[in-house]
Amino acid sequence: MINLPLQAMAVSTDPASQVQVRLFAGLREAMGWSEQLVELAPAAGGNNTAGPTPEQLWRQLNLQPTNPPAGVRVAINQQFATWDSSLAAGDELAFLPPISGG
Amino acid sequence: MLAIQLEAEQFEPLSALAEWHQLLAARLGIRPAAESHFVGRVRPSGANDAPLTALELEHYPGMTEACIASLAAAAAGQHGATAVLVIHRIGLVLPGDAIVLVAVAADRRGPAQRCCQELLEALKHEAPFWKREWSQGVGSWITGNTPL
Repeated sequence: MINLPLQAMAVSTDPASQVQVRLFAGLREAMGWSEQLVELAPAAGGNNTAGPTPEQLWRQLNLQPTNPPAGVRVAINQQFATWDSSLAAGDELAFLPPISGG
Repeated sequence: MLAIQLEAEQFEPLSALAEWHQLLAARLGIRPAAESHFVGRVRPSGANDAPLTALELEHYPGMTEACIASLAAAAAGQHGATAVLVIHRIGLVLPGDAIVLVAVAADRRGPAQRCCQELLEALKHEAPFWKREWSQGVGSWITGNTPL
Protein backbone atom coordinates (compact mmCIF):
# COMPACT_ATOMS: atom_id res chain seq x y z
CA MET A 1 0.00 0.00 0.00
CA ILE A 2 1.31 3.44 -0.91
CA ASN A 3 0.85 6.37 1.42
CA LEU A 4 1.10 9.37 -0.83
CA PRO A 5 1.56 12.74 0.84
CA LEU A 6 -0.70 15.37 -0.61
CA GLN A 7 -0.54 19.09 -0.04
CA ALA A 8 -4.02 19.56 1.30
CA MET A 9 -3.79 16.70 3.72
CA ALA A 10 -2.86 16.57 7.34
CA VAL A 11 0.35 15.03 8.64
CA SER A 12 -1.39 12.61 10.98
CA THR A 13 -1.07 8.93 10.15
CA ASP A 14 -3.86 7.93 12.46
CA PRO A 15 -5.98 5.41 10.48
CA ALA A 16 -9.06 6.98 12.01
CA SER A 17 -8.34 10.16 10.03
CA GLN A 18 -7.76 8.45 6.68
CA VAL A 19 -9.75 7.37 3.67
CA GLN A 20 -8.67 4.30 1.77
CA VAL A 21 -8.85 4.90 -1.97
CA ARG A 22 -9.01 1.94 -4.37
CA LEU A 23 -8.72 1.75 -8.13
CA PHE A 24 -9.70 -1.14 -10.38
CA ALA A 25 -8.99 -2.58 -13.82
CA GLY A 26 -7.88 -0.13 -16.52
CA LEU A 27 -7.96 2.83 -14.16
CA ARG A 28 -5.61 1.06 -11.75
CA GLU A 29 -3.18 0.20 -14.52
CA ALA A 30 -3.30 3.68 -16.06
CA MET A 31 -2.44 5.26 -12.70
CA GLY A 32 0.04 2.60 -11.58
CA TRP A 33 -1.40 2.00 -8.12
CA SER A 34 -4.30 0.10 -6.61
CA GLU A 35 -4.71 1.43 -3.07
CA GLN A 36 -3.71 4.51 -1.12
CA LEU A 37 -4.42 5.79 2.34
CA VAL A 38 -5.30 9.47 2.11
CA GLU A 39 -5.14 11.71 5.15
CA LEU A 40 -8.13 13.94 5.61
CA ALA A 41 -7.38 17.54 6.44
CA PRO A 42 -8.59 18.50 9.92
CA ALA A 43 -11.93 20.24 9.79
CA ALA A 44 -11.30 23.96 10.08
CA GLY A 45 -14.72 24.65 11.49
CA GLY A 46 -14.88 21.74 13.90
CA ASN A 47 -16.31 18.27 13.54
CA ASN A 48 -19.44 19.45 11.77
CA THR A 49 -17.59 20.43 8.59
CA ALA A 50 -18.42 18.09 5.69
CA GLY A 51 -15.60 15.89 4.45
CA PRO A 52 -14.18 15.94 0.93
CA THR A 53 -16.13 14.49 -1.96
CA PRO A 54 -14.99 11.73 -4.33
CA GLU A 55 -14.71 14.37 -7.05
CA GLN A 56 -12.36 16.43 -4.91
CA LEU A 57 -10.21 13.41 -4.11
CA TRP A 58 -10.13 12.44 -7.80
CA ARG A 59 -8.50 15.79 -8.55
CA GLN A 60 -6.36 15.79 -5.42
CA LEU A 61 -4.88 12.45 -6.42
CA ASN A 62 -4.25 13.71 -9.95
CA LEU A 63 -6.35 10.95 -11.46
CA GLN A 64 -6.78 11.30 -15.21
CA PRO A 65 -8.49 12.80 -17.01
CA THR A 66 -8.88 15.84 -14.77
CA ASN A 67 -12.66 15.73 -15.04
CA PRO A 68 -13.93 12.28 -14.06
CA PRO A 69 -15.21 10.44 -17.17
CA ALA A 70 -18.95 9.85 -17.37
CA GLY A 71 -18.56 6.06 -17.27
CA VAL A 72 -16.55 5.99 -14.05
CA ARG A 73 -18.60 5.38 -10.91
CA VAL A 74 -17.75 5.68 -7.26
CA ALA A 75 -18.43 3.42 -4.31
CA ILE A 76 -18.11 4.33 -0.65
CA ASN A 77 -17.76 1.45 1.77
CA GLN A 78 -18.63 -0.89 -1.10
CA GLN A 79 -21.92 0.84 -1.92
CA PHE A 80 -22.49 2.87 -5.07
CA ALA A 81 -22.39 6.57 -4.23
CA THR A 82 -22.47 9.92 -5.97
CA TRP A 83 -19.53 12.11 -6.87
CA ASP A 84 -20.70 14.77 -4.43
CA SER A 85 -21.07 12.45 -1.45
CA SER A 86 -19.27 13.55 1.69
CA LEU A 87 -16.46 11.27 2.84
CA ALA A 88 -15.66 10.57 6.45
CA ALA A 89 -12.57 9.25 8.16
CA GLY A 90 -12.38 5.48 7.93
CA ASP A 91 -14.30 5.31 4.65
CA GLU A 92 -13.22 3.14 1.74
CA LEU A 93 -13.60 4.99 -1.55
CA ALA A 94 -13.38 3.13 -4.85
CA PHE A 95 -13.29 4.56 -8.34
CA LEU A 96 -14.92 2.03 -10.68
CA PRO A 97 -14.26 2.09 -14.43
CA PRO A 98 -17.16 1.10 -16.72
CA ILE A 99 -18.56 -2.23 -15.58
CA SER A 100 -18.66 -5.21 -17.95
CA GLY A 101 -19.94 -8.31 -16.23
CA GLY A 102 -21.95 -11.33 -17.30
CA MET B 1 -33.80 -18.72 -1.77
CA LEU B 2 -30.61 -17.25 -3.21
CA ALA B 3 -27.40 -19.06 -4.08
CA ILE B 4 -24.48 -16.87 -5.22
CA GLN B 5 -21.03 -18.15 -6.15
CA LEU B 6 -17.92 -16.58 -7.60
CA GLU B 7 -15.82 -19.31 -9.16
CA ALA B 8 -12.07 -18.96 -9.71
CA GLU B 9 -11.95 -22.26 -11.61
CA GLN B 10 -13.78 -23.69 -14.62
CA PHE B 11 -17.27 -24.91 -13.81
CA GLU B 12 -19.75 -27.07 -15.67
CA PRO B 13 -23.19 -25.39 -15.79
CA LEU B 14 -25.18 -28.62 -16.08
CA SER B 15 -23.43 -30.12 -13.05
CA ALA B 16 -24.02 -26.90 -11.13
CA LEU B 17 -27.70 -27.02 -12.04
CA ALA B 18 -27.94 -30.64 -10.89
CA GLU B 19 -26.46 -29.66 -7.51
CA TRP B 20 -28.86 -26.71 -7.30
CA HIS B 21 -31.80 -29.03 -8.03
CA GLN B 22 -30.74 -31.22 -5.12
CA LEU B 23 -30.54 -28.15 -2.90
CA LEU B 24 -33.99 -26.99 -4.02
CA ALA B 25 -35.50 -30.40 -3.35
CA ALA B 26 -33.89 -30.55 0.09
CA ARG B 27 -34.96 -27.03 1.08
CA LEU B 28 -38.38 -26.81 -0.58
CA GLY B 29 -39.43 -30.44 -0.60
CA ILE B 30 -40.43 -30.14 -4.24
CA ARG B 31 -38.87 -28.51 -7.28
CA PRO B 32 -40.73 -25.42 -8.56
CA ALA B 33 -42.84 -25.85 -11.69
CA ALA B 34 -40.88 -23.50 -13.93
CA GLU B 35 -37.22 -22.77 -14.46
CA SER B 36 -35.31 -20.44 -16.72
CA HIS B 37 -31.55 -20.73 -17.27
CA PHE B 38 -28.92 -18.66 -19.00
CA VAL B 39 -25.34 -19.73 -19.67
CA GLY B 40 -22.83 -17.21 -21.01
CA ARG B 41 -19.57 -18.48 -22.55
CA VAL B 42 -16.39 -16.83 -23.76
CA ARG B 43 -16.34 -16.11 -27.50
CA PRO B 44 -13.43 -17.42 -29.59
CA SER B 45 -12.56 -13.93 -30.82
CA GLY B 46 -12.25 -10.51 -29.25
CA ALA B 47 -13.68 -7.10 -30.02
CA ASN B 48 -11.27 -6.63 -32.95
CA ASP B 49 -12.05 -10.13 -34.30
CA ALA B 50 -8.58 -11.41 -33.38
CA PRO B 51 -8.46 -14.92 -31.87
CA LEU B 52 -8.89 -14.69 -28.13
CA THR B 53 -6.42 -16.44 -25.83
CA ALA B 54 -8.46 -15.83 -22.70
CA LEU B 55 -10.84 -13.44 -21.03
CA GLU B 56 -9.80 -12.10 -17.64
CA LEU B 57 -12.48 -11.15 -15.13
CA GLU B 58 -11.60 -8.80 -12.30
CA HIS B 59 -14.01 -8.04 -9.47
CA TYR B 60 -14.26 -6.00 -6.29
CA PRO B 61 -14.09 -8.56 -3.47
CA GLY B 62 -16.95 -8.10 -1.08
CA MET B 63 -18.84 -5.52 -3.10
CA THR B 64 -19.32 -7.79 -6.09
CA GLU B 65 -20.83 -10.61 -4.03
CA ALA B 66 -23.04 -8.17 -2.13
CA CYS B 67 -24.19 -6.53 -5.36
CA ILE B 68 -25.13 -9.84 -6.96
CA ALA B 69 -27.05 -10.89 -3.87
CA SER B 70 -28.87 -7.56 -3.77
CA LEU B 71 -29.72 -7.66 -7.48
CA ALA B 72 -30.88 -11.27 -7.24
CA ALA B 73 -33.07 -10.54 -4.22
CA ALA B 74 -34.60 -7.51 -5.93
CA ALA B 75 -35.33 -9.38 -9.16
CA ALA B 76 -36.73 -12.39 -7.32
CA GLY B 77 -38.93 -10.13 -5.20
CA GLN B 78 -40.20 -8.16 -8.17
CA HIS B 79 -41.13 -11.24 -10.17
CA GLY B 80 -42.14 -13.53 -7.33
CA ALA B 81 -39.42 -16.07 -8.11
CA THR B 82 -38.91 -18.90 -5.66
CA ALA B 83 -35.18 -19.40 -6.04
CA VAL B 84 -32.22 -17.88 -7.86
CA LEU B 85 -28.79 -19.29 -8.60
CA VAL B 86 -25.95 -17.12 -9.93
CA ILE B 87 -22.49 -18.51 -10.64
CA HIS B 88 -20.00 -16.05 -12.10
CA ARG B 89 -16.39 -16.75 -13.07
CA ILE B 90 -13.47 -14.62 -11.97
CA GLY B 91 -9.87 -14.85 -13.15
CA LEU B 92 -8.80 -16.19 -16.52
CA VAL B 93 -11.56 -17.86 -18.55
CA LEU B 94 -10.80 -19.72 -21.76
CA PRO B 95 -12.81 -19.49 -24.99
CA GLY B 96 -15.81 -21.79 -24.80
CA ASP B 97 -15.80 -21.88 -21.01
CA ALA B 98 -18.80 -20.67 -19.06
CA ILE B 99 -18.54 -17.16 -17.59
CA VAL B 100 -21.96 -16.94 -16.00
CA LEU B 101 -24.90 -19.12 -15.10
CA VAL B 102 -28.19 -17.58 -14.03
CA ALA B 103 -31.01 -19.90 -13.04
CA VAL B 104 -34.42 -18.88 -11.76
CA ALA B 105 -37.13 -21.12 -10.37
CA ALA B 106 -40.70 -19.92 -10.10
CA ASP B 107 -44.26 -21.18 -10.16
CA ARG B 108 -44.81 -20.07 -13.77
CA ARG B 109 -42.72 -19.65 -16.91
CA GLY B 110 -43.35 -15.91 -17.27
CA PRO B 111 -41.87 -14.86 -13.95
CA ALA B 112 -39.01 -17.34 -14.34
CA GLN B 113 -38.05 -16.06 -17.80
CA ARG B 114 -38.51 -12.38 -17.04
CA CYS B 115 -36.59 -12.61 -13.77
CA CYS B 116 -33.74 -14.48 -15.46
CA GLN B 117 -33.39 -11.93 -18.26
CA GLU B 118 -33.70 -8.93 -15.99
CA LEU B 119 -31.18 -10.28 -13.50
CA LEU B 120 -28.69 -11.08 -16.25
CA GLU B 121 -28.89 -7.55 -17.62
CA ALA B 122 -28.55 -6.13 -14.11
CA LEU B 123 -25.44 -8.23 -13.54
CA LYS B 124 -23.90 -6.94 -16.73
CA HIS B 125 -24.41 -3.31 -15.84
CA GLU B 126 -24.51 -3.11 -12.05
CA ALA B 127 -22.23 -5.77 -10.59
CA PRO B 128 -18.60 -4.62 -10.40
CA PHE B 129 -16.82 -6.88 -12.87
CA TRP B 130 -14.27 -5.83 -15.47
CA LYS B 131 -13.26 -7.84 -18.50
CA ARG B 132 -9.88 -7.85 -20.18
CA GLU B 133 -9.41 -9.63 -23.48
CA TRP B 134 -6.07 -11.37 -23.97
CA SER B 135 -4.98 -11.88 -27.56
CA GLN B 136 -1.47 -12.56 -28.82
CA GLY B 137 0.00 -11.60 -25.47
CA VAL B 138 -1.75 -8.24 -25.33
CA GLY B 139 -4.51 -7.42 -22.82
CA SER B 140 -7.27 -4.91 -23.59
CA TRP B 141 -9.85 -3.78 -21.05
CA ILE B 142 -13.43 -3.88 -22.30
CA THR B 143 -15.36 -0.74 -21.48
CA GLY B 144 -18.87 -1.81 -22.36
CA ASN B 145 -21.21 -4.72 -22.88
CA THR B 146 -22.20 -6.55 -26.05
CA PRO B 147 -25.65 -5.65 -27.43
CA LEU B 148 -28.62 -7.57 -26.07
